[in-house]
Amino acid sequence: MTADVQRTDAPGGALGWVENRLHLGPLIGALLHVRIPSDAKTFYLGGITLFLFGIQVVTGTLLALYYSPTPDAAYESVLSITSDVEFGWLIRSMHHWASNLMILFLALHVLRIFVQGAYKFPRELTWIVGGGLLLITIGFGFTGYLLPWDQRAYWATVVGTEIAGAVPLIGPTLLLLLRGGAEVSDATLARFFGIHVLVLPLLLGGLMALHLLFVHQQGLANPKRPEPRPGRTTAAHPPERLKPFFPDYILDEVIAWYAVLAVLVILASLFPAGLEPKADPLVTPEHIKPEWYFLAVYQLLKVVPETVGVVAPVALVLVIVVLPLFDRGQEILPRRRPIAIACAALLLVGLAVLTFYGAQV
Amino acid sequence: MSDGFAPGREDGGGRAVAGVQDGAGGPRGFGRRRFVRWLMGFSIVSSLAMIVTPIVGFLIPSRTSTAAAGGRVLAGTLDALPVGSGAVVAVGSKPAIVVNTATGVRAFSAICTHLGCIVAWDGTTNTIVCPCHDGRFSPATGAVVSGPPPAPLAPLTTTVEGNDIYIVTG
Repeated sequence: MTADVQRTDAPGGALGWVENRLHLGPLIGALLHVRIPSDAKTFYLGGITLFLFGIQVVTGTLLALYYSPTPDAAYESVLSITSDVEFGWLIRSMHHWASNLMILFLALHVLRIFVQGAYKFPRELTWIVGGGLLLITIGFGFTGYLLPWDQRAYWATVVGTEIAGAVPLIGPTLLLLLRGGAEVSDATLARFFGIHVLVLPLLLGGLMALHLLFVHQQGLANPKRPEPRPGRTTAAHPPERLKPFFPDYILDEVIAWYAVLAVLVILASLFPAGLEPKADPLVTPEHIKPEWYFLAVYQLLKVVPETVGVVAPVALVLVIVVLPLFDRGQEILPRRRPIAIACAALLLVGLAVLTFYGAQV
Repeated sequence: MSDGFAPGREDGGGRAVAGVQDGAGGPRGFGRRRFVRWLMGFSIVSSLAMIVTPIVGFLIPSRTSTAAAGGRVLAGTLDALPVGSGAVVAVGSKPAIVVNTATGVRAFSAICTHLGCIVAWDGTTNTIVCPCHDGRFSPATGAVVSGPPPAPLAPLTTTVEGNDIYIVTG
């Protein structure tokens, strides 16, 4: 019956031609229906992260057409992309900056969800899957960093894999699996390339689809009122005002995406991705530093024993990922969650201090 | 049909009946449905193991390729390495640091025991220094002088023949 109605109401032209055959109207209609409370404040952080991932897929695919994943050729191929290939510098710089912005916006997105208490019932699974997305994104940064095969890339990977190797019990096996041998070598480059362009995109794509499915099913959280829970009485509220997902919310998102694209092009043009001297396994350059999002762990390892410096960040990430399983209170307003907010503030200050000192030469 | 399994009624009977049979079938032995479930579980687990084992085996690199060969490697000359200086040299695929101290020539693995960076000679402080976290080692013994490294540098055997400095491995 529904199909008949759709058939009758199908638009003309090419769209109608497709609709008369596939009857996609109800499916698209359902996909474009997401509950958006008027009070929801997302700052478009999740959507911008999704957009940046799209940028990474496009620019990464283009870079892969010219990149050679072997120690003999990797550095020269990146040099060639940067200096010989038309718009190569722009594509590479956009890939570089989009990766940094993706981590930044993802972190801000997590922070927004935390402050608004949007990880609580019924969105626990959305948060946990989001934690997986965060880890995969960091994995992208870690594996992609080695690919230019310059001094910074090589030594950041030596240090990064050594840190992974210091994880109790599984460390030595993890180190061997990551490096493909005892040292960072051609085997490591091949593995990191394979993980970066195949394994992680597939994983991220799958988890992102799941994450979006959950968001679609639950709608956006209202930061002013908690979701009613089964079996519990809630205070009476006036009816919730909603706004259409399409076109209102989508239009706002697209405007935010254009703004981010503009920022991205400006950053790529003014501060293009550089290249240090080719990797030399016999010389660690002075004052070597990892990317900004690893600086806190790097600095922590300078001031605490290695095991503590490795176990503490891993434990912290695990606690954050499973946070909704033990933080099950109904309150979502920050002023009514002083302990949670204080813990987060303390963590942020600690990370900022460690990052600041880690960045010092 | 009755050799140890639950009665054959499970085949055509309703699910509820089969469920009751399962629950009550314990004392009489291994219910058919339970057996099939067990078989399915076993099949899933063994299939996963069958898939995962070769993948993990494939990913773990051969250790033979990382084994160091024994022998002597020319690490430099006394002319190029006067007393109070040091240099990083390649010994096979591994880096070593050779230092000419007042008490003789010493050599150590150049891989920092903290996070694997390559150490260098610091002539101003007469110490071996790691550029990553500023860990410092004694050129005489390889012991940690300051910084986060948890262990001394691994010592290597050196011999001096005439003007030539050799590192003995293996």
